[in-house]
Amino acid sequence: MRPGHRAFRAGLTAAVVAAGAGTLAGQSPPPSPPAPEVTTVLAEARVLIGRGKAAEAAAKVQALALPDDPNVALVLGVARYHADDPVRAIEVLTPAVPKLPEASVERREAVQVLGLALYVAGRIAEAIPFLEETGKWAADNLELAQVLGVAYLQTRQPEKARASLARTFDVPPESPAAHLLAAQLMIRVQRDDMAEAELKQGVAKDPTLPQAHYLMGQIAIFRARLDEGLAHTRREIELNPGNAMAYYQLGDALSRQQKWDEAVAALQRSLWINPFYSGPYILLGKAYLKKGDPATAEGMLRRAVQYDPNNRQAHFVLAQLLQQTGRTEEAREEFATAERLQDQEGR
Amino acid sequence: MTRSNGPQAKRRFAVACGPLALLLTVAAFRHAAYPASQPTSWPVSFVDVAKQAGLVHPSIYGGMDRKRFITETNGSGVALFDFDDDGLLDALVLSGTRLAEGSREDVSWPPGEAPTNRLYRNHGGGAFADVSAGSGLDRLGWASSVCVGDYDNDGRLDVFLTYFGRNSLHRNRGGGRFEDVTDAAGVGGQGTRWGSGCSFIDYDRDGLADLFVANYLRFDLAAAPEPGQGANCLWKGLPVNCGPKGLPTDTNLLYRNRGDGTFEDVSEPSGVAGVTGRYSMTAAAADLDGDSWVDIYVACDSTASTFYRNDGDGTFSDRSVESGLAYNEFGTAQAGMGLAMADYDGDGLLDVLKTHFADDIPALYRSLGRGRFEELAGVAGLAVQNRHVEWGAGLPDLDNDGRADVFYVTGNVYPEVEAQMPEYPHRGPRIVFRNRDGTSFEDATGRTGPGASAAHSSRGAAFGDVDNDGDVDVLVMNMNEPPSLLRNDYSGPNGWIQVKLRGRRSNRAGLGATVVVTAAGRRQARPVLSQSSYYSHDDLRLHFGLGSERRAERIEVLWPSGHVDVLTDVEGGRVLTVEEGADR
Repeated sequence: MRPGHRAFRAGLTAAVVAAGAGTLAGQSPPPSPPAPEVTTVLAEARVLIGRGKAAEAAAKVQALALPDDPNVALVLGVARYHADDPVRAIEVLTPAVPKLPEASVERREAVQVLGLALYVAGRIAEAIPFLEETGKWAADNLELAQVLGVAYLQTRQPEKARASLARTFDVPPESPAAHLLAAQLMIRVQRDDMAEAELKQGVAKDPTLPQAHYLMGQIAIFRARLDEGLAHTRREIELNPGNAMAYYQLGDALSRQQKWDEAVAALQRSLWINPFYSGPYILLGKAYLKKGDPATAEGMLRRAVQYDPNNRQAHFVLAQLLQQTGRTEEAREEFATAERLQDQEGR
Repeated sequence: MTRSNGPQAKRRFAVACGPLALLLTVAAFRHAAYPASQPTSWPVSFVDVAKQAGLVHPSIYGGMDRKRFITETNGSGVALFDFDDDGLLDALVLSGTRLAEGSREDVSWPPGEAPTNRLYRNHGGGAFADVSAGSGLDRLGWASSVCVGDYDNDGRLDVFLTYFGRNSLHRNRGGGRFEDVTDAAGVGGQGTRWGSGCSFIDYDRDGLADLFVANYLRFDLAAAPEPGQGANCLWKGLPVNCGPKGLPTDTNLLYRNRGDGTFEDVSEPSGVAGVTGRYSMTAAAADLDGDSWVDIYVACDSTASTFYRNDGDGTFSDRSVESGLAYNEFGTAQAGMGLAMADYDGDGLLDVLKTHFADDIPALYRSLGRGRFEELAGVAGLAVQNRHVEWGAGLPDLDNDGRADVFYVTGNVYPEVEAQMPEYPHRGPRIVFRNRDGTSFEDATGRTGPGASAAHSSRGAAFGDVDNDGDVDVLVMNMNEPPSLLRNDYSGPNGWIQVKLRGRRSNRAGLGATVVVTAAGRRQARPVLSQSSYYSHDDLRLHFGLGSERRAERIEVLWPSGHVDVLTDVEGGRVLTVEEGADR
């Protein structure tokens, strides 16, 4: 997973500041302190990084032309990392880390930023040792535990991932809740095969585990195992009859089977629980259109647009309806909106 | 193809925050649909006979187990065409090359070992001879696609090839020789572009095949980042080659045939170059809106696919979104790569199949008539196969029952991913769906013989009756392997007919025509295409199954000139040549 990068870096800054807040016991002194003018530049660079001008900070430090000084390399690496250039951060931090004194604040910061840079660059397996080392002195850092958990997921180490994520959520690592939370994260990083296994373990330990059947249903439906998906979703509703998303998922699966009446009933229940969510309105729009009721379909789709004006799918399906009912100009406008939103999602 | 952080990244488990995340999650699910039902009798079995037929040369395309750059991943097409007009389909298999280890320069191949394109002549009896040397088609480089047509109306099929590099037009001079007339014809383009799809198309109805050429994207190999070194260089968290997202798009080209061996670039005045922001791949030209003017449809990677509607006045309009051909049923862009056109529901209108990336499914666009389509892949049962990257595709009637089946080849673009995620294998099977009833399909992949289930990393595929035994065979390009020649050992009783066209007012090869056959109470339409599948060219003889019948009740030929020929009570079990105006 490529994390929410900027928020992630902001969190990192806090962690680094915390790590550097005091002198650590047993810390060795740095090999040779930088010259005063260098110290000034590094301090200014730190200020720039704090102000969100990391690229400017990197340029300033780079201009010192002291590539072999580990303290300079540290600040340069931190600046590059914050400037969304993890690859070049790795280049300078990798040789700097062994030059910094064991257990020094600088070493810890370098290890942490190197681990995070490797992680962001997708070199997950290489990142893990550095993140684990960071975890030794930042055991309470929940964000770090979460990152480490995802890193374990990416490298197919579900046991370690669950343990790390359990720490993040303050639940026992072998608990049903830990399995559920690990599965949620696995789904987010598109590892649904791992998630399915994790969910099965969770349900084996607690057959009434909330949300587990919903997620198993979600995966089964995605993989076109519709009957299985329906069974899981219905089981979730038995366990939690107030789960609007489960009704929505049920309506989704039924609409794929073109069981429009049943789908409409499920989607309506979803909206009776949570009327402010656009997804069921979109599916209801499709369902009513298929049932030959374009007026009701249009009402549903316009409600979807009202609640979620940036929902591309709502505009697209509404445009199709308008086109089918001969309102060409209105359809064109809705298609254009859908296309604009598609473009905004980016190439 | 797509790729890192492409549609597959946002396809379903989109990483977002708040309520919208839930919306994206569930709504984006809408790819899956019916599981396969109980298997029924399926008398189709594919056997790979490439080796015994003599198709033995591998198509080299980038690294074997790791791809550093996107240019190594797309592979190339193949063609089945009768270049010597002896009634036997010959084979052209395109090839790429390879970068030197740790370098961005192509390998220098020892004399005689260069992986050039290969032209094989069909001698009949299941044997082909390699006639590449001296043919003019034996180029070395990063070949993309092939399209075939008779641009000079001399009765010999000519060839256009696209490249990451210089495209080339080859005039068939007879005797197995294809003269490179690119510069004289004025279709070489300027500088290094990444040619992708192409199609000969008579867009202005003057009886001459013009030429449409697509470009994938703008790519600077010297400046390209290494795998993992950028925002668009990760897939499911793993470092992979970068793109296409984040890389600049390019525009497409249209050349008008002047009739004197030269072409005029009309990309701008025709409106073709006005469509921007698309990663164009395979291009097919057929009359998709039934107005007798031949349109162009381009499968586009990670962006809206492009439907160029021929306005009949020398210009094209971008009707991608309004037609329903741009996106999937919920308006989401997909990674369009391969495409096929035929009439799967028996209403006499041309439908479209388009293939995509792993964790996605093909799009199946059912024609509603007058240039409007609805996307029904999930409802039609195509969602049960969703692990593989999908490439060359066809809608052949494999069992001659009068209904178009689905066939597509697979292969991942990230060979290195398999080691960490075995559920996304580098090499995949050839996917086969049997058309049940004209509305839905059942997965027959595991029941279509060893040639279908064998795993390869395939790209192009061409469909045609290679052994003239009355069923459709398939030629497949495999990355860094010899091609597969999948012989269809159909064992059922159904009848068939093949229709070959010869234009008079229309271009001689009949490109852009649509043939509608009625037999056994069913109608079925097929177009004559210069390119389809993935970067490939199919047999120009259109193959129709007749079910239990031995005769076609009616054959209607809708020529690109606007002329319509109608033949009735036509005997099957043969290749029928229809000359334009033959019904008079």
